[in-house]
Amino acid sequence: MKSEQFKDNKILLVEDEESLAIGLEYNLSEEGFDVTLAKDGKQALYEFNSKTFDLIVLDIMIPYLDGFEVAKQIRIKDPQMPILILTARTSSEDRVKGLELGVDDYLTKPFHLEELILRIKGMLKRKMWYKSISTIDNNYKTGDIEINFEKLILTYGSKSKPLTVHEGMLLKYFIENKNRIISRKELLENVWQINSEIETRTVDTFIARLRKLMEKDPTNPAYIKSVRGAGYIFSD
Amino acid sequence: MQKRNSLFYYVLVFTSAQIAWFSLLGLWIYWYVSNYVIMTKVGETVAPQIISEVSNVYALVSGLILLVLISVSMSLIFIYLTKQMNITRLYDNFIANITHELRSPLSSIQLYLETINSRNVPEDKKKEFINLMMKDADRLNKLITSILNISQLEKKHLAYNFHVFKFDPLINELINEASEQFKIKKSSVSISGNTGCRSVVDRSAIKIVINNLFDNAVKYSNGPAKLKIDLVSNDKFVILKVSDSGIGISPRDQKNIFQKFQRIYNKNITNVKGTGLGLYWAKEIIKYHGGKISVNSAGIGKGTTFTIELPIFQTAKRRRGKRLLKITRKTKQQLEASDEI
Repeated sequence: MKSEQFKDNKILLVEDEESLAIGLEYNLSEEGFDVTLAKDGKQALYEFNSKTFDLIVLDIMIPYLDGFEVAKQIRIKDPQMPILILTARTSSEDRVKGLELGVDDYLTKPFHLEELILRIKGMLKRKMWYKSISTIDNNYKTGDIEINFEKLILTYGSKSKPLTVHEGMLLKYFIENKNRIISRKELLENVWQINSEIETRTVDTFIARLRKLMEKDPTNPAYIKSVRGAGYIFSD
Repeated sequence: MQKRNSLFYYVLVFTSAQIAWFSLLGLWIYWYVSNYVIMTKVGETVAPQIISEVSNVYALVSGLILLVLISVSMSLIFIYLTKQMNITRLYDNFIANITHELRSPLSSIQLYLETINSRNVPEDKKKEFINLMMKDADRLNKLITSILNISQLEKKHLAYNFHVFKFDPLINELINEASEQFKIKKSSVSISGNTGCRSVVDRSAIKIVINNLFDNAVKYSNGPAKLKIDLVSNDKFVILKVSDSGIGISPRDQKNIFQKFQRIYNKNITNVKGTGLGLYWAKEIIKYHGGKISVNSAGIGKGTTFTIELPIFQTAKRRRGKRLLKITRKTKQQLEASDEI
């Protein structure tokens, strides 16, 4: 199972349950990842500030600062850092809260080891893939909006906002498929590269966030419009 | 914050409703009085027989009584609903906590089973993983037992095996057992004082109380827990004081910590796990023994002292002690009867 592709990838694992942390650390190391373990929110931020990581696996109910707060602070410093929340909290409010804070994926406990590893690898692959394609078509301009896909910055009028990798990919997919109705299923499979049976709300949460960033009136969108029963359509 | 806002919203709606209600009442009284004057004047000249003074006053008084009754009922319903909302919020917290507590060991067990199944795990690692799984299974077991005990607690069945104990040696024994269980060094626990009294207690129930206090001291201490135990007595009660060197409790939280499902959320707290039942349990058990439990903390970062008072068998109301002993005899008889069946 050990993969050379991810040999140099560094993962910050934030988990306070000792037995789960030992098992996760063992499995991620077996996959070839370089794992750093943090047992609470304070330690997680300390590690994040003192080392470089490629991905963060984050529990929510951790001492001192909860996972949401840690994600928020990480996002301020690094909007593109892939964050996977791994938690026993299953409510849709928590899921939406996490996704709204800009985390890239949300997996609930108990989980399947294989699924966790696939998701982690998927996130890392997307990050690498994004880096490789972002040199092709760096800038997109329409109306008041300018998007720099290389730096992942969206400029609306005089305001600039950072985008996450997922948001950047989602926008890119919309622009490449301009004026065509795109279903949630298609977005999940092509942008998230996950089984569309899992979750369609994730897409809606991301779209809502994008609308807040780029629409004059997010409730009456001009760029990303909803098509009832079908999905979304992007137009200039 | 959102919850407080919603409570504020309800209070605002209720207050506005009451203001509207009383304004309406005032308006009605004003209307009635002004019309009464006109009607009396008109009635005197036109048809004195249509105005009956007695029945009008009767209608006014009964109308007022009715309005006041409705207003009082509305207040009572509002108070009840606010209490109910609070319990529902705490219950939701409890469900979220208990779900978390159940899922965590379960996911750990699942992770190790899948690891052993899918990888070539060396023998020594396998052993380590099995030990961790056993710990998790034990944690699940304890948790399920505590969930089942909630109903016992509601039915007041948690303490039923009362005997007369010499207080000092009993507490010393229980403190030593708790120290061992929570892996607190003997040098970190100091016991002082001597009461020389006897008390009617259920040993295993008091053990739950002391274990809960030790568990909290460990959970809410930055670094190894240190405990100071004091045994004193007054005319009627033996008093056990358990002081820890933990992060302390704010005065606001001190008022609530014995409530069911109550948990404190604070950035200084080193461990966020728990069901919110431990201290509620402790309070109920001590209350059932005819005693009292209270908390005292100078505030955040200044440690906490729990004070337990239990009636002295020799001097306190003997009737209560005897009643508790009677419960034990009765339970024993019931157990023997069920054994014979």
